[in-house]
Amino acid sequence: MIDVVLFLCVLAGATWLVTDGTTKLGYNWQWYRVPRYIFTSENGRFTAGPLLEGLKVTLEITAASFFFAFTIGLITALCRLSSSVLARMVSRGYLELVRNTPLLVQLFFIYFVLSPIFDMSRFFSAVLALSLFEGAYASEIFRAGIVSIPKGQWEASYSLGLSGWDSYRWIVLPQAVRRVLPPLTSQAVSLVKDSALVSTIAVYDLTMRGQEIIAETYLAFELWFTIAAIYLTITVALSSAVAVIEKRMKVAA
Amino acid sequence: MAEKNREDYIIAVDGINKAFPNGVHALQDFSIRVRRREVLVIIGPSGSGKSTFLRCLNGLEEIDSGSIVVDGIPLDYKKQNRLEIRKEVGMVFQSFNLFPHLTVLDNINMAQILVRKKSKKEATETSMNLLRKVGIPEKARTFPNHLSGGQQQRVAIARALAMMPKVMLFDEATSALDPEMIGEVLEVMKTLAGEGMTMVVVTHEMGFAREVSDWMVFMENGSIVEEGTAEKLFTNPEKERTREFLSQIL
Repeated sequence: MIDVVLFLCVLAGATWLVTDGTTKLGYNWQWYRVPRYIFTSENGRFTAGPLLEGLKVTLEITAASFFFAFTIGLITALCRLSSSVLARMVSRGYLELVRNTPLLVQLFFIYFVLSPIFDMSRFFSAVLALSLFEGAYASEIFRAGIVSIPKGQWEASYSLGLSGWDSYRWIVLPQAVRRVLPPLTSQAVSLVKDSALVSTIAVYDLTMRGQEIIAETYLAFELWFTIAAIYLTITVALSSAVAVIEKRMKVAA
Repeated sequence: MAEKNREDYIIAVDGINKAFPNGVHALQDFSIRVRRREVLVIIGPSGSGKSTFLRCLNGLEEIDSGSIVVDGIPLDYKKQNRLEIRKEVGMVFQSFNLFPHLTVLDNINMAQILVRKKSKKEATETSMNLLRKVGIPEKARTFPNHLSGGQQQRVAIARALAMMPKVMLFDEATSALDPEMIGEVLEVMKTLAGEGMTMVVVTHEMGFAREVSDWMVFMENGSIVEEGTAEKLFTNPEKERTREFLSQIL
């Protein structure tokens, strides 16, 4: 009961803040001009607007980076836990370098310095930067998951004659991945959000398209709200999808 | 041990030493022989090095010096030898260590398929036979955490047996079990011994030791205090320390 009252108070407060804020702002809201930038439909024919085009690019970049970031993350984690001194040194160096410099700087470095040398496209530069950055964080998550598996699992596996690789592949990693699914999801959500930075190297993603439209129309408030809502939709959908998978796995185990 | 033909020994351990980084000298010039089809039971107070010895036998712990030869294969720095020995030596742990993400059947199938390169069909056939042997064929599709401790340990035994090992190691296999479940696991172990499996057993179950063992070793501080048949150790031990330990535990 007290919760309901509190909730209503908070809701009332928020509403008052928003209405008061918008009146004082004296901003001329023109929401009706926004939909055409998302999509248009003439005579039943659906045409994607610039925002949806941008969303497509954002999703492409995110999906590609997902794949590479998790691959890099897993390999780095395995290297850090390996008995080879070289593998440990290289992986540690990569991790510290990437974790301790800003993503924006890495993106500019890859785009302005590396991409002319190796003749990489903007899209590829963006994916490379995001993969390397998120991969470093993913590797720490994987490593935590792997070391959290009790020693007895390794011993049982070894005592049955499984090799180190087979033990990883069939015994330890399947359990570790289940354990780190929640933090891995947070990382995936971060990836979606961080992908907005690629607009700085003129990749036509959702954020870049938004900026472009705002420059033409001055609909700054409406468009930023819209863009935020689109990002929110993707990340919430992602989180819920993983929640479902997590539940299934729990039932199975 | 009485003089016997050397060929008979499936396990030959000579003067092994093992010290842990924390300074504990777990095994000191430890030597022992195990013949084929023999059941060797090792007893001793906790921290005496019994478990460490078992874990050295299949290379879960590395020895500092001395030699271990299992079925003619030396357990040395060669990775291949260690893998070979692990194929021939099954191990049952105090804490079961079943794979929680796999069904009982997959737990038992896993090594047969990956290591023995059997087909899934062949492996399943063997696994089901073993599950019948340990008395829980109806649990094949269950996940380990739905089983009682005694059932889990029986699955663990079946999992080790699936590799058709020549030697089975039991590391306090009943110590983590509720009293009413100890019997069902010991029963399986007795059956195995009766079938002529070579076994090295670390246990506190003196009844089992007395009934099943061919040879017993009493260990303390990483070395053998006394060894002999169960009959001799229980009724007429030579060393005062053996008498003291057994009187405490019985």
